[in-house]
Amino acid sequence: MEQLIYVAVFVSLGYFFGRRAEKKHFKSLIEREEKMNKLPAMGSRMPPQDGKYDQVLVSGSVCIANDYFKTFVAGLRNLFGGKISTYESLLDRARREALLRMKEEAYKLGADLVFNVKYETSNISGQSSKKPPIIEAHAYGTALRKL
Amino acid sequence: MEYQNPKLPENNVSKEHPIKEFSTLLIGTLVLVVVISIALSVAGSSLAGLIPYSAEKKVAGLYDMSSHSDNDRFPKIASYLQQLADKISIAQSLPPEMKITVHYMDSPTMNAFATLGGNVFMFRGLLEKLPNENSLVTLLGHEIAHVKYRHPIKSFGGGIAVAIAMTTIGSSADTNILGDAGLLSTLQFSRKMESQSDLEAMHNLNTIYGHLNGGAELFRIFKKARGTEDVGSTKSPSEFFSTHPQDEKRINSFKETAKEKGWSESGQLTPLPDYFNF
Repeated sequence: MEQLIYVAVFVSLGYFFGRRAEKKHFKSLIEREEKMNKLPAMGSRMPPQDGKYDQVLVSGSVCIANDYFKTFVAGLRNLFGGKISTYESLLDRARREALLRMKEEAYKLGADLVFNVKYETSNISGQSSKKPPIIEAHAYGTALRKL
Repeated sequence: MEYQNPKLPENNVSKEHPIKEFSTLLIGTLVLVVVISIALSVAGSSLAGLIPYSAEKKVAGLYDMSSHSDNDRFPKIASYLQQLADKISIAQSLPPEMKITVHYMDSPTMNAFATLGGNVFMFRGLLEKLPNENSLVTLLGHEIAHVKYRHPIKSFGGGIAVAIAMTTIGSSADTNILGDAGLLSTLQFSRKMESQSDLEAMHNLNTIYGHLNGGAELFRIFKKARGTEDVGSTKSPSEFFSTHPQDEKRINSFKETAKEKGWSESGQLTPLPDYFNF
């Protein structure tokens, strides 16, 4: 009984705080993406051929912790299978934040574009299934500034 | 020309509200757990009923039951209870290998229970409330009937089946179930089992005394105790009483059974011996 109360408290805390943080984060992501819109970031491995460029490696990474609510729902989802929608938003936030940080770095360097952009996503909470997942998303690419 | 990224739609994340998914999953899981537990419990208990009594006795022999009893300190009471149990065993025509061992417990808990291997535990807290031998025989007869109908092993089997399943899927089941404590506390009988034992107790009461007088008194004591809550000291009494049929029903069932079988409801009550004074 005591355990049930703990779980209920953690799940509701996770839901309220996690959801608040997520909403705030999405709002900020959309705003900052708009700001960074002018700086193109592309996956293409071919650099532009129209002149000389200064080049530098730029990267952005972010760690996002899961909340108890998401872990709980994902745990239940494991019994039945299907898409774990609570993790979708987590990964979406992480990738977009990492890309944004990379673009912001490139922007500070006065870059005109970033090419050969790649993502890495890793779980940094270890192998234990008991720990809630904490993910790191890392975006990196080559920033170019026209000379 | 200034570069412009197209505005991407926000469609990476499912639009379903997380609470909706949460409740669907939670209800689904609970239903699944309940259904599986019931199925396992029923299957486990019916299979356990097939275990021969000799094997049950061996398992019970692994635990030192007498270490929990205060028979040594109260030899007179213990031998009196044992003597009654032997008499009841004959009245209930228990097979000879089903030997009942009564353990007296000098504890204020208002309880009595039967467990594996024909071991019956009687607590001072309940015994001191009994007015006469007739009600004591009803109580003892009820517990002995549990042994006769193999209720402890059936209940144990059902519990083990559920515990094994829980441990297999990784949740921390009460692993104590296989230990000493589990043997003494986790046995819970269904209402059907309790009614069956009640009927058997009435039968042996009639066989021994020739009437049912004093039997229903036992359930009046329970009813009273439940009302005042002044029972036992350790665990809440409701835990023990909850699976038992309602007191009122049990008191009435004495009347009904007496009528049905043509047994007398009045008769001489046998007093308890003097040393049975607490």
